[in-house]
Amino acid sequence: MILRPVYAVIEREVLKLFRQRTRLLSAMVRPLIWLLVIGAGFDAMLGRSGNLSYQYFLVPGVLGMSMLFGAMLAALSTVYDKESGVMRMLVIAPFEHYWIVIAKTLSAALAAAIQALLVLVLLFLLGYLKNGVVLPLLIAGIVTTSLVCASMGMLIAAWTRTLDNFAVMMNLVIFPVFFLSGSLYPVQHLPSVLRFVATINPYTYGVDLLKHAILGIEATSFNADFSVPVNIAVLLGFTLLATVIACLRFSRDTAYEPLIHLLARKRSD
Amino acid sequence: MRRDIVDTSLAIQAEGLTKRYGNTLAVDGLNLDIPTGQFFGLLGPNGSGKTSTIHMLSTLIRPSQGTARVAGHDVKHAGLQVRAAIGVVFQESALDRTLSVAENLRFAGLLHNLPIAQINERSSELLELFGLKEKRHQPVSELSGGQRRALDIARGVIHRPQILFLDEPTIGLDVPNRRNIWRFIERLRTELNVTVFLTTHYLEEAVDCDKVAFIKQGRIVKIGPPHDLIDSLGAYIIEIEGENLSALIASLSPRLGPCFMDGDKACFRFTGKDIASLVMLQAELGDKVTGMRWRRPNLNDVFLWVNETELWQTRKT
Repeated sequence: MILRPVYAVIEREVLKLFRQRTRLLSAMVRPLIWLLVIGAGFDAMLGRSGNLSYQYFLVPGVLGMSMLFGAMLAALSTVYDKESGVMRMLVIAPFEHYWIVIAKTLSAALAAAIQALLVLVLLFLLGYLKNGVVLPLLIAGIVTTSLVCASMGMLIAAWTRTLDNFAVMMNLVIFPVFFLSGSLYPVQHLPSVLRFVATINPYTYGVDLLKHAILGIEATSFNADFSVPVNIAVLLGFTLLATVIACLRFSRDTAYEPLIHLLARKRSD
Repeated sequence: MRRDIVDTSLAIQAEGLTKRYGNTLAVDGLNLDIPTGQFFGLLGPNGSGKTSTIHMLSTLIRPSQGTARVAGHDVKHAGLQVRAAIGVVFQESALDRTLSVAENLRFAGLLHNLPIAQINERSSELLELFGLKEKRHQPVSELSGGQRRALDIARGVIHRPQILFLDEPTIGLDVPNRRNIWRFIERLRTELNVTVFLTTHYLEEAVDCDKVAFIKQGRIVKIGPPHDLIDSLGAYIIEIEGENLSALIASLSPRLGPCFMDGDKACFRFTGKDIASLVMLQAELGDKVTGMRWRRPNLNDVFLWVNETELWQTRKT
């Protein structure tokens, strides 16, 4: 059965997450910096909009951010596995290679969800989760956003051979995805080009779902932009599509043949 | 349709196995019949096609041409069954340096679908066998090169494969560590009765193999039990150093047969048994040469003389 190998990949990811204290710490600190520094700064500059502060509007965004960074970093560790050679253990094991993609996606999503839960506890302790958090929506939001971020990361990892491109990926993918997502400002207020980009950005729908869950149904200009079913459909649809593409890429001969050469060549370099 | 003859007593069977990258032939029409339980060595210099052969036999790359059966399964069409039956220790480490010794074995065991209890049991056995018991909770990054290689081999056999591929298991290790690794492989062979397919370019290390094949530019140029191959060279190799060797070679060749130039040394094979004639030769050469010695041939010589015999045979025909 495939369950044990998938479990092995997940267990390793979680083990590493809790062993890398700095990774966990920065996952906690990063959202808080945005919330407490940027949020407070904008509040001081803009004043309040309706009965909601901008800081409060940022809560779903920073929660999403913890998953975006958490899942992307975990998914891109696949590239590290290729470079360090651990991928050899995976490709020689007796299961189809697309299971590597599925297991890695699930483990990255779980790592992201764990980080989101820790941030959630922090947000609760700091008093940012007050009235009307819809728990089922919050759970759905964390699950689907983690998955969408993880599958986005795996899509990139399937095409990336070396960690040299890692910083490029961070700057060219993670930050644009974050900035153009409605995390920092409502999508409906964006100029049309940016609004279009935000609309095709799958991560936007994750943040939007979290807005539904956390900001509640009060009618303000900070409301969510899409309906809950649309959000969930887009998130699951993209996850499925991205995973299938990454699996195909990983299973094709041409995909793992250069991979095994990369692994074999290192000695002679 | 072609009827495949499946001989179950053969662990590895290859027919015309070929791997082509663009215009270069990495492996060129390899034929192999390796019976179950054999200790087989594929020997040759770096870049001769050894690793490509292992990667084809372990289903990680597809042959461009030809077929191969490993543990009775076709490498092209039954990859999963092949991978379930084999263990592979790659030239480069496959270990996760950030995980501990025991965690690496656990990860490998789970990937091969072993129950946890079985993984724990086999890990203890293997770590005992490889002298790593005290290190089991240390991260791999703290192990020495030799210990890491030993662990990588343990990792490759945790699922008790029928066939074990070892790609240059001693590369990059110092002599004591190399000896240790060979001891471990020997223990594994006796304890698990596993078929071992080995590659190495330290030819002299393959002398304990049941059978060796020399590969050069993707082709097998010599195959047989190592001692037979060595014995076929003759009783001694004579090495002569000195000035103006070509004249000397010309005068000695009729008596000693073909000459092989190994760097600045002229080498002859001595097929006779009589050391006295070697002593006489030494007296005869006297101060015409700067040095002359004779020694027993080894597997390195077998490989060096492959060229010469080819040359010799073409000259004769």
